[in-house]
Amino acid sequence: MNANTAFTLVIGLPLLGTPIIYLLGRLWARQNGSSSAANPARWLAVLILVATGVFTYFAGVGATADYTGISHDFGGLTLTMDGLGLFLAVTVLALGILVTLFSAQYMQGEVGEEKFYALLTAMIGAIIGLGCATDLFNLWLWFEVMAVTSYFLVAFYRDQKASLEAGWKYLVQSATGSTLVMLGIALAFAATGSLRFDELRLAAASADPLLLAAGALFIIGFGVKTALVPLHTWLPDAHSQAPSGISAMLSGIVIEAGLVAMLRSLGILYATSQVWGYLLLGFGALNLLVGNLMALRQTQVKRLLAYSSLSHVGYMLIGFGMAFTFAMPNGAIGGFFHLFNHALMKGLAFLAAGALLYALYIAKGHHGPLVLDDLNGASKRYPLTAFCFSLAVLALGGLPPLAGFMSKWQIFVSGFETGNTVAILLVIFAALNSVLSLGYYAPIVNRLYRGQPSQTVQEGAKISPWMAAPMVILALAIVLLGVWPSLLTNLTSRAALGLFMLMGG
Amino acid sequence: MNISIPVIAGLVILGLLGIGLYALLAVRNLIKIIIALQIMVKGVLVAFILAGRLQGDMVTAQSMALVVIVADTIVAVVGLALAVQIRRHTGKLDTTALTTLRR
Repeated sequence: MNANTAFTLVIGLPLLGTPIIYLLGRLWARQNGSSSAANPARWLAVLILVATGVFTYFAGVGATADYTGISHDFGGLTLTMDGLGLFLAVTVLALGILVTLFSAQYMQGEVGEEKFYALLTAMIGAIIGLGCATDLFNLWLWFEVMAVTSYFLVAFYRDQKASLEAGWKYLVQSATGSTLVMLGIALAFAATGSLRFDELRLAAASADPLLLAAGALFIIGFGVKTALVPLHTWLPDAHSQAPSGISAMLSGIVIEAGLVAMLRSLGILYATSQVWGYLLLGFGALNLLVGNLMALRQTQVKRLLAYSSLSHVGYMLIGFGMAFTFAMPNGAIGGFFHLFNHALMKGLAFLAAGALLYALYIAKGHHGPLVLDDLNGASKRYPLTAFCFSLAVLALGGLPPLAGFMSKWQIFVSGFETGNTVAILLVIFAALNSVLSLGYYAPIVNRLYRGQPSQTVQEGAKISPWMAAPMVILALAIVLLGVWPSLLTNLTSRAALGLFMLMGG
Repeated sequence: MNISIPVIAGLVILGLLGIGLYALLAVRNLIKIIIALQIMVKGVLVAFILAGRLQGDMVTAQSMALVVIVADTIVAVVGLALAVQIRRHTGKLDTTALTTLRR
């Protein structure tokens, strides 16, 4: 298949499919009433996403043929799928398809079920586009589309006070961040007169104060979405109140898409200043510490997982910081590898927590938060879910044969390769934090396998195979990448290459 | 200091951003918070036009400003829709109603 056609379809299919999914689901719900059997919107969404995945393969074959990737002109707007764009598309589609399958039962019979699938597909399409943008304004536009769809999805349970509150906090903070990004774009435009990545990169060589201010605004603005530490307060609320499939998407992909947008915009300002790398390293260390300390004192499972996302963003930031400060290719490759692994691991952890939340509460018609005490002895009633959940948290904690260990290791290796004392101390700090994180991951496993199941667990509903299948696939992928990490090297090293080419290295 | 149009525009940008940011932090009414966000975006719009004038590329600047207006209106609409739902479920239209998730 022609790679250019495939690329057009990769960009177009999810976005054009969104209204069709909504209309089909709406018509069907109107004829059959919303509470009856399966709404076909979900299957259409899965179909569209799988088709996009197939076309991504063909586009990827073309994009990896040379180092510039493939470009296509969409009516005056050029999108390029380079290594980084391909990597982001693969990650979002892998997790997105599994989340859509998982949500089939989880969202069954919710009010406005068809909107859920339409918005999820639109969000995935926006993230694919974000990876392929070639100018700053276009990057912001995709980012904003992703943000708007995720506002709806976070506040999806619109009769729940808590999820309305989470949605409101998320909207106000995210919209403020995006305003600051716009101001940064205006400053970059005022300084150089161009917004295309390739032209801006050449024009950005001088240390223009306008460009310095623009870079700072990009860090703050995209940092709200990436959840850099002082800007993270929306994250635990949004992650814990959204439907569990969306929690997995937010934590596994959306905050990382913010990170990719930040890396793209800082990459083109690389020549302007040395300070970006140090800022990434500093925020990385802060994210690690605050994320871990806050996670230790949580009592709700999904809030705990949300705070642990903060610390995992910290690992990625340290990897990319090494790439920016010391030009370490291993830092960027390890950062992207951890990004992919985090999507799998945190996706699995949120889906498993969501399956338990569904079985214990939502199937009985109330949204009560899943607390740590509910996990006691859950393995006796739900052996498969408990196994997947413990595998996910052990991988997140970085235990050796699993995927999380491999990517953390690569990031740490890049720190040692620099030979710089501060970088090595930072790596040791990150490794100690990894140990600290076991302080809240290990008790989850302990609770799942020991202790007596409570009344709630014993009376819990059944978890259907449709919910279990995505979890099993993710668990297998985590083990496979742990014992065979070179499977992904081609993808991650091309993503790193895309970043370094942007930086002009 | 020579008072030229770029200087005035720069002051307007800073003023709108400052007012918006202050209002965002100070007010508690949900609709006023949306208005504060809008004021900040209006400052950015002036910044886009000023940048276009400085670079002599008004076409790009104006088209960007138009896109920003559309995107920003969508955000405001979503925000107001959330505010309506919050009013319906809590009976209040300010942030003191939003206190269930404090930890």
